[in-house]
Amino acid sequence: MTPKVCLVVREFGAFNRAWTQILRNLGIDYTLCITTATTTSATIQTTQGVFAAGSADLRGYFRQFDAVILCDHATSLNPTAMVNYSVFWLSWNAPEDPAFLFFNPHFSTAITDSAYNSNFPSDFPIVRPSPSDIAGTLYAADGGSAGTTSPLFAAGTAGRGACVLFPAENTRAHVMTICNTHTNIPYYWKLDTAKHSALANAAYTHRVARNGRAGEILAVPAPPTSSEDTETYPSDCVVAYRYRNCFWLPHAMVRAQRAVNLWDAEVSPFVFWLLYGLQLAGVRPRYRLPVQIETSRPLEALDASSNAPYSLREQCDFLLVSWDWMREFARRKGTAIVSGVNVGGRDRSASSRQHWAILYNTDYPAEVREAAMRVHQILVAGHREGTTPCGPHDYTIGGGNGLWGSAVSAGYRRHAGRQRGTPNDVPIARGVYCVAPHVLPTGVAERDAQTVQVGDTEMVEWDFTGRTSGTGTTFDLPMGNIHAARMIIEGHIDEMLALGFPDGYCAGHRYTNTAANNSGGECYWQALKEFGFRGVRSSSNCTGINIKRVPPNRIWHGFHLVGDETIDNCSSGAVFSRGLYLPSAPAGGDAVRFYQLDHASDISANWATGQVAAWRAYRRLLCQTTSIWLHGTAVELSSAYFHPNQSLMCVSLANPIAPFDGWSRLGPYSTPHYNHAVELLENMNAIVRLLPEYLYWGTITDVMNHRERVMG
Amino acid sequence: MSLIGWLKGNRLVDVTAQDPLPVQQQGAITTRTADTLFANTTSVTADANRDLLGSAATELPTLDGCMQYRKLVWFYFRAGGDSTTYRVLARATDHNGAPLGAGWQEIVPATTLPGAANSWSRIEIPATTDGYYDQYRIEVRLTSGSNYPLTSKIVGVR
Repeated sequence: MTPKVCLVVREFGAFNRAWTQILRNLGIDYTLCITTATTTSATIQTTQGVFAAGSADLRGYFRQFDAVILCDHATSLNPTAMVNYSVFWLSWNAPEDPAFLFFNPHFSTAITDSAYNSNFPSDFPIVRPSPSDIAGTLYAADGGSAGTTSPLFAAGTAGRGACVLFPAENTRAHVMTICNTHTNIPYYWKLDTAKHSALANAAYTHRVARNGRAGEILAVPAPPTSSEDTETYPSDCVVAYRYRNCFWLPHAMVRAQRAVNLWDAEVSPFVFWLLYGLQLAGVRPRYRLPVQIETSRPLEALDASSNAPYSLREQCDFLLVSWDWMREFARRKGTAIVSGVNVGGRDRSASSRQHWAILYNTDYPAEVREAAMRVHQILVAGHREGTTPCGPHDYTIGGGNGLWGSAVSAGYRRHAGRQRGTPNDVPIARGVYCVAPHVLPTGVAERDAQTVQVGDTEMVEWDFTGRTSGTGTTFDLPMGNIHAARMIIEGHIDEMLALGFPDGYCAGHRYTNTAANNSGGECYWQALKEFGFRGVRSSSNCTGINIKRVPPNRIWHGFHLVGDETIDNCSSGAVFSRGLYLPSAPAGGDAVRFYQLDHASDISANWATGQVAAWRAYRRLLCQTTSIWLHGTAVELSSAYFHPNQSLMCVSLANPIAPFDGWSRLGPYSTPHYNHAVELLENMNAIVRLLPEYLYWGTITDVMNHRERVMG
Repeated sequence: MSLIGWLKGNRLVDVTAQDPLPVQQQGAITTRTADTLFANTTSVTADANRDLLGSAATELPTLDGCMQYRKLVWFYFRAGGDSTTYRVLARATDHNGAPLGAGWQEIVPATTLPGAANSWSRIEIPATTDGYYDQYRIEVRLTSGSNYPLTSKIVGVR
């Protein structure tokens, strides 16, 4: 295939592999060019020769591509050169020329290169930022507070907030947006309205000029929806602009060496702008990316010992309304919200956090069990129709760490009936002797021999003396073998069926998300395959005892180990969310502190006195979590998830699914109501609508299908 | 007579060595004998038992599922020349994926990491004979001087 995109980079030592990983996932063929310098005298090393930056030869070379992407950026306005060589390309505006995508471009007035300044188009409509006149050339963004490091280096935490209006699409979306930075402060651009007016009225023909004009405002800060939100921007503030065939776009990818493998998967939170830029440039991907989300423990309730603000009954009530809304959302969008149901409650735990226990444990009041049953019935019905498929998720084994969460699961209490349940006496550890069948001498294996296969290794095991369950119910279960794995998973399926689900693996998706993201190891993956699973969610450190890692390709003998991205609004250690911010919350107990969103104390210091602080926290949280989700979707092909009970504890009981409305609608603790599920899904839906060529609402099956397509 | 035949010049012929089925090869047949297993930048520090993934959990492998590889080839570029040692541990697992026991076989004791600042190097693991271990743990440790980035690629050779 002919490459569609050309990436221009200065050096591989600071090249973020997320650029190319996304293109590979989209099936967009690309090539890389290396610049020899940052100045206008740089030459560009291409696969077809070395060309001067302003040469006709380079222009001809570029014409084979749909888009040329500038990968380098500066972290302040001070450098005198960064992508100076690209100034010539701003004048390559013929219909035959490609689209040029500038992300967080460095074009400040600090550039002293005369060739740059003389070639910079005189009709360019964005004011060149000046480090000596910041106030006159830029608009401070997101409250204007400085971070402790460059906001461009934000990853899974420390995000900045922005609600962006896309005028052509008439859509608002929360996406991490920084146009330029200086002294760790994010900025948006200032428009020269006279020049823009001239361009907007000038006819221009190029395939990327969708309005047939030479200039187009692509995105601006969205105006507030509440009078409480005083963070407003002047009408000449822009965050994305098309100048002829050149796109001036916000930051897309940090300039740092990142490998994007299993262990170095630092979140790239600005990828929206890359996808949006590619779409604007008319680069048609071979594949669109499926967007989906998961939850862990869709039905649970915290008892009084957790000091939750709501009773067991009230927790079930807000879960009911929220799940009803999520099911309807999934139905409308054609997605499936996969959930890992807390199992083990029937055989091993009576806690109210257990799906089974909150339904059937008579220690809980009938009204609580009835309220829980209403939530459960939504999940079962949604499972059957494909909107809320559920699978097992077990914290009651492995010392609370799930599959292979400990070497021995002490006091394991198994299910009754079935092949490996009470009272059958079955192996629970590998045989004393294990020999591959093709080298096993005839007559050596004893009568209790059985053949097991794990991956591509087949073994005959025999002599299980002292290694079986006996006929009882409770025993210490060694976890690191396929016999234990089969027993555990058989019990999971049995409990799922007893709960009324028609299967135990998310219906046709044949998937579940694992407790603590521990998928066990090879013996568990094999056993899961035997029970019909196609994949599970798994962290790279896939046991609770730190003895194994998931193989680098994350597909083990056809079995998917899907990566995990948590997007709750508080830490799991804090048990539940106290909302966007609550000074008295424990560490990680509110969103601002969990994601380190309080830059220069511009939320905490103003929380009690300035209503805008809540809106700022809201914007930052939504940008941060949606960005992590989008990173999982576009870069890792992994799974983002949240815990409904934990993350929704800060809703208003009067209207749990109402949109955020600052201090006008309060949740517990007399702080603003916030429904994480509603806000996240609606915001991602806006992004999907903005990127119809690149994203679609899909399912975990679509994700696994796509992994097989592009990970081979 | 063969059970399978095909039309050759309007005549039905049996499939034989002389008249094989008319197939067209789709692209070259390739056999891959080496896989990229690892590409990472590690900050080399004085912390004890710190592996290339930055983990100090001593039972956690750096690479898992490596039984198919005769040898690992570790390429690296070190940005700093400060005194550094590396250590390579390996072990086998049973067919369930469970290590045969706790701990590791030390196949390379703490050894000076070759190379100066801004230099490339290549280390074969094991240096002699074949590996076929299931798990490897590769630790690097600064013995004096300042932290620096170490960028590695590890290839598994079948």
